[in-house]
Amino acid sequence: MMKELRFAFYAIKKNIQSSAELRTSFLTNIIGMMINNTSFIILWVFFVKSVGVINGWRAADVIGLLGFTTLSYGIVFSPAFGLIKLPDYVANGSFDRFMLSPKSVLMRVATSSFSVSAIGDSIFGMIALAIYGFLIQATVLQVLLMCLLAIIAAFVHLAALIAIYSASFLFSANADSVTRGFFELFLTPSLFPGGAFQGVMRFFFTFFIPALAVGALPVEIVRDLSLGKLLIVSAVATLWFLLSLKIFYWGVKKYKSSNFMTFGS
Amino acid sequence: MKAIRLGNKIITILVKDRAYYPGRLMMDTFAIIARCGILLTLYWYVFRLDGGTVNGVTFPIVAWSMFFYFTFSVFRLRDISRMIMQDVQSGNVEVLFSKPVSYLSYRMWWQVGSGLYSFVVISTVGTIVLALIVGFPATMLRALFIPTFLLVVLLSIFLSLFLYTIVGLLSFWIEDNKPVFWVVDKAIMILGGSYLPVALFPSLMYGIALWSPFGASQFMTHTVYSTWAGEWLLKTGIQFFWVVVTALITLLLFLKARKHVSVNGG
Repeated sequence: MMKELRFAFYAIKKNIQSSAELRTSFLTNIIGMMINNTSFIILWVFFVKSVGVINGWRAADVIGLLGFTTLSYGIVFSPAFGLIKLPDYVANGSFDRFMLSPKSVLMRVATSSFSVSAIGDSIFGMIALAIYGFLIQATVLQVLLMCLLAIIAAFVHLAALIAIYSASFLFSANADSVTRGFFELFLTPSLFPGGAFQGVMRFFFTFFIPALAVGALPVEIVRDLSLGKLLIVSAVATLWFLLSLKIFYWGVKKYKSSNFMTFGS
Repeated sequence: MKAIRLGNKIITILVKDRAYYPGRLMMDTFAIIARCGILLTLYWYVFRLDGGTVNGVTFPIVAWSMFFYFTFSVFRLRDISRMIMQDVQSGNVEVLFSKPVSYLSYRMWWQVGSGLYSFVVISTVGTIVLALIVGFPATMLRALFIPTFLLVVLLSIFLSLFLYTIVGLLSFWIEDNKPVFWVVDKAIMILGGSYLPVALFPSLMYGIALWSPFGASQFMTHTVYSTWAGEWLLKTGIQFFWVVVTALITLLLFLKARKHVSVNGG
């Protein structure tokens, strides 16, 4: 396990070094993504100002929501961007080279590519959470909870990413479209204020599509210091992570190589 | 005539291609369910909490306004900037410049053709579904609505194409135009009335949406409001003005960009 992690860190380091070669592009991607994310804050803050408080959700909570969602997204997407390319790897046969590697297939695929713009998401997420902490005048316990929940939310994001992109093994012809569509279904609700999700919708988007577990529920846990919700989010993260690993390795067994002479690109 | 024949050919081929491979349609359907469907459910809940009216507007009006935004986004006219960047980065632009057709018109026709099939299918099905769920507001049943709506959509197509082409052409000068694309795209998203309908805009934001090309490119979201009857002339005029301005900028940038490329063949 330690060997695998060492290899993953080595691959990530090399990916960062390679991306940083184009310095201007590297920096503009990070700053551009931060501006991009700010637009969601503007939208939702105006939304809350127009329609009023929705089930206890105020403008400050929206900042917290975007903080958790973008930070967990950035933590996962920057080092594990290779998972997004899984549909291409499967469709053009280059997945063969990962299977031939003596390292963990999942780790090799995940660290095969790096997203620079996701660093912008991480930085934006940290700034947004700092602002949220300031606005709610967070106690030490709340700050510690924020750190813990950012990690748990990252696990949920990773689990969703693995589970969704494993569909590449089943729909090789339209894999790119299907996986992107599924990912939209997960990501979009995670950017919406949690107050509007009640009853069946809340249940569905917590357990079946765990979108609320990456942003809305962490905000409510920090705000209300809710141990019950913390347990739910932790359980969702653990179950979805284990399930995603099962789905991935089940998909790998389904994979049939095209046997290109070049072993892919 | 030659240009129209070329456009017709490109669109016909692409529509047939998209109909044969339904992957894109599937993705667009998922996207519209994820974005528009969930958003409308959220607004339905919010309007119910607020007694059915927010800022003097009812839910059906807001629902149609946002539906128009998301359906138009299925056209994916914004992808033209990515296509131009890919052409520049891969060197494909050199090959395309040496063809006896205008590069810009080829790219624009291509973009319209590649999104047309999904746009027609999703807008038709979506209109029927939304009409069955929320019905048509009275503002959409006026005689003025359909002709002005079609005019605004047409101008929006031109304006969006020119705006995103300008972003794409910047890749002749900068390594990666994605950050510029994000800024322009999000400006259009905010000012176009996507997640926050135009009726809920604060006055300053409404002013920016009205007079900027970003907001003007999505004026179809304004057509369902009761004020449309008195404003349509002004708004289509603003749209027309921005179409002319952005077309001129596109042309100037393209002429400058051409000088940056040396076609060596081979």
